[in-house]
Amino acid sequence: MRPQLSIIFFTTLAGMAQGLLFFIALLNIEVPVLSAPFLAILALPVSFILLTVSLVASFFHLGHPERAWRAAMMWRTSWLSREVIALPTVMLLTAMTFFFITAGMVPAWLWAALLISTLGLWICTAKIYQCIRFIQEWSHPSTLSNFILLGLSSGGLLLEFLLMLWSDPGAPLAMGLISGVNFILLFLALNLKLWIWRRNQQLKPKSNLASATGINGNNIRQTSMGFMGGSFNTREFFHHQTDRVISNIRRIILLMAYIGPMILLAISMNSPSIIQIAIALVMHYIGLLAERWMFFAEANHPQNLYYQRVS
Amino acid sequence: MSTNKQLALVIDLNVCVGCHACVTSCKEWNTSGSAGPLTDLNAYGANPSGTFFNRVQTYEAGSFPNTQTVHFPKSCLHCEDPPCVPVCPTGASYKRKEDGIVLVDYDKCIGCSYCSWACPYGARELDEERQVMTKCTLCVDRIYSETLPESERKPACVLACPTSARIFGDVHDPESAASKAIAERGGYALMPEWETQPANQYLPRSIMETIDAARNDK
Repeated sequence: MRPQLSIIFFTTLAGMAQGLLFFIALLNIEVPVLSAPFLAILALPVSFILLTVSLVASFFHLGHPERAWRAAMMWRTSWLSREVIALPTVMLLTAMTFFFITAGMVPAWLWAALLISTLGLWICTAKIYQCIRFIQEWSHPSTLSNFILLGLSSGGLLLEFLLMLWSDPGAPLAMGLISGVNFILLFLALNLKLWIWRRNQQLKPKSNLASATGINGNNIRQTSMGFMGGSFNTREFFHHQTDRVISNIRRIILLMAYIGPMILLAISMNSPSIIQIAIALVMHYIGLLAERWMFFAEANHPQNLYYQRVS
Repeated sequence: MSTNKQLALVIDLNVCVGCHACVTSCKEWNTSGSAGPLTDLNAYGANPSGTFFNRVQTYEAGSFPNTQTVHFPKSCLHCEDPPCVPVCPTGASYKRKEDGIVLVDYDKCIGCSYCSWACPYGARELDEERQVMTKCTLCVDRIYSETLPESERKPACVLACPTSARIFGDVHDPESAASKAIAERGGYALMPEWETQPANQYLPRSIMETIDAARNDK
């Protein structure tokens, strides 16, 4: 598939905000671990801004953004429609948490609702891709696991960075522990990604020219797709990059999204420093952009069987 | 199989000569009809691009000297279980209950392209100028027309085909020409592995069997 910047920014920014909100809600649902000023002045506004920017990015994907409200109509059948409802729900719950904190106390049900809504949005986002049964790279539960793990890792790193930015010497936080948790998340995410890449490599396409055309005979090949100019079909379903670019981007993903931040986190477990965490966060996010680009690029659409040769 | 009507095309690969008359007549009718305009971008430039509902492709099979060339018209198959319809977030994509035609409501389409991802056949094309998803309508504005003479109330591609390679009819009616062609001449669906149950079917080339039989006689 052709990777589109609007969706890449939408899924990575929203995923990071979801991870941040997930940890905030998890840490505060029983006893308030994170202080109210930190949440009200820094963490919740940052989450809300990230969600807003991701929402704006998603509009750039549409041919008719002025009709976007219609996309909430078909929630009974469409995961895209459900996502269109879930994202504003997370934003609304974030705003409500903010107002409850400034008013004094956040009820447990609101933390629980925030926690569940972040999970719900991940499910909607991943299912949009996972439910397309003939894109075999996507049509697997690992799509959802990957969205959740990378959302948690980027959100966890952002939380660690914000805590260090906020840190008042009066309340020392267990930064080493948070670095450890983020390290484990990245380690799991890395292993999942390597597993997904292995699986993609071993996939046997269910469709081929014989099933696509039904032509009775061996060695079927296309000699003309029926037109010499471009069309939507030749643009939308392929990344248009060489194998070399693809393998280089894979290396960038491994280094930037996973290994680099993991090394910095390993160092931070003993001697936490905000510079290290800031670099790890930026590296991880750049790596995530590449990872999401690759998520689309490596998805093979069976319609490409019909568009192989100009003439 | 439901008792409702399911209009469809049956494509006879025995007689298609790859002339593209169906492509141009489809474009001509639909760019000026209720489904249009089907815009062409940069039509006289180096990289022209346009919206079409129908394409004729060419394939080869076999190895020399036992080869065959097959011209292969391709348009929306109006699946009985269309994967493109339930994914649409706005309800712009729908399958008509009365005749099984899959259509797009251009006034509701937000141009997100998700339905095109959910079609394994690449039957949908986003119109770059109008930014809405377009596809074959089975000439819904011809076949029910009250102003056209009755003999012309067929899809434009069917009327244009010089070799009668396109048979139009209700594939749920066992007495229709389309159903009979499927039943008697081994009609098959494309990519049956995805269980979309395409309404359009293709008639396999029987010439190869004749040639094989002749070779085996020697």
